[in-house]
Amino acid sequence: MSTRGESIFGVAMSRRELLRWTAMASAGALLAACAPGALPTAEEPAPSKAKVRIIATTQMPISQWEPAMKRAVEQLPDIDLMITQTNISEGGWAGYSDRIVTQIAGGEQLDVIMIAVEGLGLLTDKKILMPLDDYFLADPAEKEILETDIHPVLREMLQVDGKQMEYPFSWNNMVLYYNTKIFEEEGIDPPSKDWTWEDFLEVCLKVARVTGGADDRYAYSFWGSGMFGMAAWYFNNDTSPLNDSWTASNLMDPKVAETLQFLADLILKYRVSPNPQGWEEWAQFHAGHLVMRTCGRWCISGSLNEGFTTYDLQYQPHRSGPFKTVVGTDGWGISTSTKTPDEAWTVVKFLSNKDASIDMTKAGGNIPALRSVAEMPIFAEYGPPNTAIFYESLDFAKTVPSPKNFNIIDPILNRHYQTIWNGEKSVEEALIAAHAEVTAEMEKLQAGRASFASAGLGTLAMACGCNQ
Amino acid sequence: MQEIVAGYLFIAPAFISLFIFLVVPILASFVLVFMRYDVLSPPSWNGFENLSQLSRDGRLQQVYWNTFRFVVFATFFNNLLGLLLAMGVNRAMPSIIKYLLRTALFFPVLTTTASLALVWNFLLTQDRGVVNYLLQQVGLPPVPWLSSSSWAMVSVVMFDVWRACGFLMVIYLAGLQAIPEVLYEAAAIDGASQLQRVRYITLPLISPTAFFAIIISIIGAAQVFDNVWVLTGGGPGDATRLIVLYVYEIGFKRFEMGYAAAVSLTLFAILVVLTLLQFRLSRRWVHYD
Repeated sequence: MSTRGESIFGVAMSRRELLRWTAMASAGALLAACAPGALPTAEEPAPSKAKVRIIATTQMPISQWEPAMKRAVEQLPDIDLMITQTNISEGGWAGYSDRIVTQIAGGEQLDVIMIAVEGLGLLTDKKILMPLDDYFLADPAEKEILETDIHPVLREMLQVDGKQMEYPFSWNNMVLYYNTKIFEEEGIDPPSKDWTWEDFLEVCLKVARVTGGADDRYAYSFWGSGMFGMAAWYFNNDTSPLNDSWTASNLMDPKVAETLQFLADLILKYRVSPNPQGWEEWAQFHAGHLVMRTCGRWCISGSLNEGFTTYDLQYQPHRSGPFKTVVGTDGWGISTSTKTPDEAWTVVKFLSNKDASIDMTKAGGNIPALRSVAEMPIFAEYGPPNTAIFYESLDFAKTVPSPKNFNIIDPILNRHYQTIWNGEKSVEEALIAAHAEVTAEMEKLQAGRASFASAGLGTLAMACGCNQ
Repeated sequence: MQEIVAGYLFIAPAFISLFIFLVVPILASFVLVFMRYDVLSPPSWNGFENLSQLSRDGRLQQVYWNTFRFVVFATFFNNLLGLLLAMGVNRAMPSIIKYLLRTALFFPVLTTTASLALVWNFLLTQDRGVVNYLLQQVGLPPVPWLSSSSWAMVSVVMFDVWRACGFLMVIYLAGLQAIPEVLYEAAAIDGASQLQRVRYITLPLISPTAFFAIIISIIGAAQVFDNVWVLTGGGPGDATRLIVLYVYEIGFKRFEMGYAAAVSLTLFAILVVLTLLQFRLSRRWVHYD
């Protein structure tokens, strides 16, 4: 049935004609959109050489990189640099690593990747990062910076099987932040460097005010999940959830149970700490509802934003073994999927340089890997009085446990920690269950690597160009 | 002939997108079940290993038990509240109030689940959460809404019902408005009470709507992801880990796509059986005349 009546420009047409004209117009518009641009006329300047698009991704806020992107326009004229942020807030480095793998698998262009030591094993195991040694060898100036301006601990942390996989950019340890105003009000002396768990508990009991009212004040909150946050406590009791080579569970070590029991008691027995689930410690610390917390230097940025200044830092309290601080480093690496590795290396150098480090320092972010920046007055200016302990701690640093299957192990531990903090499982029950799961995953990792090698899939991966 | 071609052309976009995003992944998952695939390396033959892993996976049982409880409670309360709210707003009242009520009840459906879940997280946090603060103001003890295994499931169901019952209200409202008014008038003349009118007129005539609502509620509840992901992350422990969350974890955190496909096929099979069962049972209680 044909219906006449629609009128365009006064011409009556059938519905079918209307549809035909609409389709033709759409096709025309589409063709016009797809058509190449008009050739430059004599008056127009000839187009400059096409820039190479390099995409770098990081966990750090994009705002921190805006000055670098502006400098890139002048300093890297042949490169169209784009920096993206990959979310780390959900799942920490485990979640971040998963997202990177998924993006690469999805064919997304990622030329330069920032990753911390926690995710380095996974990305290296999946052949996502290429070694940088050849680039450093061909670039003596950068090699000198790597060898003289970056602490060996940081440099070696980003090596796999002796190969430099990333250019170290920043790092963190975990120290204790405390509210100096509340300490003064309660007549408590600032903690000393060698304070113990007993000293710490004594302070907690003095400063906590928890009644369920609006004025509640918790003494201390800890992450309750995440390898980095938990290692801060484990290492100070001379233990770790994994063995030294990060290939097996160490959860049955009595010191692991002792550490977790101490933390659980803070929540369940002494009621001086909140259950970490759902707890938002940044806002509570700045509002004076939380007296102490454990964090890295990046937490200074929150205090800067809030104008919060009545706090200082001290090392984590200690129980047994040599004094240790958990350390993790991140850096820029080149993706094996990049089609322009040379330009990617240029960007890696550019994003690792002094200017970029100073930008991060000003934003209150991590600790710069470049010693020359960490020793600048600006580093101390953007932090509380005891800021020097950040860089000092490298001398007794211990790397955060970072197995190749970190993205699997970390969530397992977190899941079982939760059942301790809410009191549903005893520390022993939770550790037995976690140990079984971690052991199974470690065995699977070993078996997978063995079958990968025996099946010759490594050769296949090399042939497909994803194993460089 | 031209009209036939035009017809096919009109349905082509929908058909192609359904084929690419629904049929192909379903078919692919049948193949992936027999593969080992970590998304970066090429898939390799894995035989029946993924299927046999189903019986060895201790967490799967817990996850299915969680999903079962969630589906039962969410479906029941969503439909019950949806129907009651629909009957409430279907009553005679000033139109402005009716519109306001409908909009208010439907509003959570329009808002993104993730942002709503964040707000609920803030409200329900055990220490310094708003709800617990109010409870303590009236002398009640704080409730571990999200940090206790038993309460976390209650919170997740509560959130889902609050968010989704408005949608079911709209469906039930459409069903109620299709019931001819004369039937109620005739029943009133015959002396039927309010309860009798609901029992003998409303419920039988709304049964096709209820059937549709229950089916989509069950399928929707079995596929819930974002609510739980943001509110509890599946925790504490595995207390609120639902099947889709678990499939995501296996596929996109452990990168075991073959096993993820095996688990998702179990869900597919269960949903198909459940839907067929409901169609079969519906002959007893759904009245189309």
